Amino acid sequence: MEETADASGGPHPLARIPRLLSLPVPRDPRLTLVALSFIACCLLEPRPSRADTLAEIRARGRLIYGGDMEGGGPYVYPDPNDPREVAGFEVELMDALGRELGVKAEFSQGPWDRLLEVLRAGRIDLVINGYEWTEARARDFLATRPYYTYQLQLMARRDGPIGSWQDLGASKPGGGSWRVGVLNSSAADTFADESGGPHVEVVRFDGGTDAMRAVENGQIDATLQDLPTVLFYRGRYPTLKLAGPPVGKGDYVIYVRRGDEPLRDALDRGLGRLIDSGELRWIYERHGLWNDAQRALSDGTGAKSQASRMPRPEGLELLWRYRSRLLAAAWVTIVLSVTSMPLAMALGLLIALGRMYGPRPLRRLLAAYVELLRGTPLMLQLFVLFYLLKLPVWVAGIGGLAINYSAYEAEIYRAGLQAIPAGQMEAALALGMSRQLALRRVIVPQAVRIVIPPVTNDFIALFKDTSVCSVITLVELTKQYSILGNSTGGWLEFALATSLLYLAMSLPLSWFSRWSERRWEASGAKGGAPA
Amino acid sequence: MIEVNDLVKRYGTLEVLRGVTLSVDPGEVAAIIGPSGSGKSTFLRCLNGLETFQGGTVTIDGLHWGVETPTSARGRILRAVRGRVGMVFQSFNLFPHRTVLQNVTEAPIHVLRLDPDQAEARARRLLDRVGLADRLHAMPRHLSGGQQQRVAIARVLAMEPRAILFDEPTSALDPRMTAEVLAVMADLARDGLTMIVVTHAMRFARQVAHTVHVFGDGRVIESGPPAQIFEEPHEEATRLLLSEVQAA
Repeated sequence: MEETADASGGPHPLARIPRLLSLPVPRDPRLTLVALSFIACCLLEPRPSRADTLAEIRARGRLIYGGDMEGGGPYVYPDPNDPREVAGFEVELMDALGRELGVKAEFSQGPWDRLLEVLRAGRIDLVINGYEWTEARARDFLATRPYYTYQLQLMARRDGPIGSWQDLGASKPGGGSWRVGVLNSSAADTFADESGGPHVEVVRFDGGTDAMRAVENGQIDATLQDLPTVLFYRGRYPTLKLAGPPVGKGDYVIYVRRGDEPLRDALDRGLGRLIDSGELRWIYERHGLWNDAQRALSDGTGAKSQASRMPRPEGLELLWRYRSRLLAAAWVTIVLSVTSMPLAMALGLLIALGRMYGPRPLRRLLAAYVELLRGTPLMLQLFVLFYLLKLPVWVAGIGGLAINYSAYEAEIYRAGLQAIPAGQMEAALALGMSRQLALRRVIVPQAVRIVIPPVTNDFIALFKDTSVCSVITLVELTKQYSILGNSTGGWLEFALATSLLYLAMSLPLSWFSRWSERRWEASGAKGGAPA
Repeated sequence: MIEVNDLVKRYGTLEVLRGVTLSVDPGEVAAIIGPSGSGKSTFLRCLNGLETFQGGTVTIDGLHWGVETPTSARGRILRAVRGRVGMVFQSFNLFPHRTVLQNVTEAPIHVLRLDPDQAEARARRLLDRVGLADRLHAMPRHLSGGQQQRVAIARVLAMEPRAILFDEPTSALDPRMTAEVLAVMADLARDGLTMIVVTHAMRFARQVAHTVHVFGDGRVIESGPPAQIFEEPHEEATRLLLSEVQAA
């Protein structure tokens, strides 16, 4: 979508750069260089359009709207009758809106909690995907009048103790908090966070259905979701019930980029006509979504009238306000990596030794293990451990990373072991050592120093791969970035801060690697080579 | 001390040893000479189980095994043999991550379960004997080839072997370093150590060995005292080999 990229300067992210530059920059020139190149990358990001997007849409004849069809029923989901197409009430709404604007509406897939970033980058014209109106979003984007009034519905197990949202106000029998699953950055997330009280722990999921499955598994106590989602998926989770009446209430709106007032106004006019003609009601009724709450839509009391002009904190002030959240997430990242990597290294060594010196059936088995784990995505492995095997979240996270990386470490060790000349094993055997003793005293210590650099490299890679653990609800640094970016709109600040945190955590690893290589080099001369 | 009977070794269809019969008495120094590819090294490596063989038997210091010996028993026998018979390699094969001293104490501590102090005392004595008392804490890569090979000999001696197999110990060395190593070996021979030496160093074979075995094409062509082998060889092949060596 090159057409939306415009070179003219705007006050938007550029204005924030000078303030961001006053971040404490480490004295190491390499670090500064990395940070500066990152800022440069941010500058290259296409800025909000200053051209008339509406005119562009009309010229190209297509209106591109962003949504996420993953667990997206009844909003937008793969059409069961024609899987190449999308279905859902928002799809029908956009088709109707497209007709109002005289263009064809076209769906574009994106991760739900990043849709506004995709919009900001100019890759889509608007976001419509159950995005409720919030003050933070309305500051950075333009919102249309509401097209649906949602309510939040609590779901819990039929055989469980939870009867309604009010039940969560009391402490949990047997101690601990009620664990309530929500879709990350959704209205339910905000509602549960703000109204949940002291006994509620919010667990964030990437997809609404993941949370329902977790309730079914007993991994969390309940899930709070937008009513349409609950109505659409309840049939799939027969062990779950709707716990009590809906709580909370808010408006779904369509977001467009700031500066796209003509587009917003055209959409508002189109929505108005669809509401007045009853076409919108007809769409909702077909999906079983019409209720009395929707009557207020025709008031046209658009959320835009409430749009706040209050400045939000920016730059360092914003980061400082959320520092504890960022640091807590960084801590999760650290714990995940420093526990899983040693496990992966130990496991990998055993696998490599088994593959090289074990009996033939074991060798075959281990080869299959390595291929299986290298050949399938880490995310799927975590998914299996958490949702299918129902392991506790930390066990699944640390275990999943360790098992996945053990396959890679095993191959590194194998290469390291093979690099040791055959004469070393022969000399050890000829001295009367058993094969096992020869490996332990002669072969492995030599292989270890060969593999230090590639293993450290993998450690740094694992470090960043911990972000995949967000699919099993662990809020690590990348997830926290997404959460904070969503709730505050401070994408740029948090992106920079998150990157710097990752760097700050991975550079010591590189230093450790170089230090340990030197130490291994020197150790023999000092007369104490560790084995 | 060492009895080898009709040893046959094949790599697939390639016959490397075609029935080697040979014996070495206690205290005897046996030199094995022969052209490249005649099976000398393979023969030596069969004696301590670094190579398997397809026919014949080996008896070393009362330990006997052959092709019929079951795998489990053979493993046990070979460990015992390796504990009594050391081996010195052409490429030294010192442990590069250990110091000179550690190379020599490694096996006594971990195989013989010797007390570390005792093992170190023994190592210092042996390294002194091979002339490396001043390089105890050097890493192998900082030593010359001749020094490395002398450490390797000390490493084998530290196991107090009944016999030592030398696999072309000086082939990777220049003449000066060769002389250093051969001097140490001659010293061991004087002490009455049983040795089998696969070598191209004819002068050593002639001066130090008690018996010389000439290998050719996977067989022992001729055996005898050095004087006979070098002065009046019975076999044409031996004569040819010696003339080639002298020409080179």
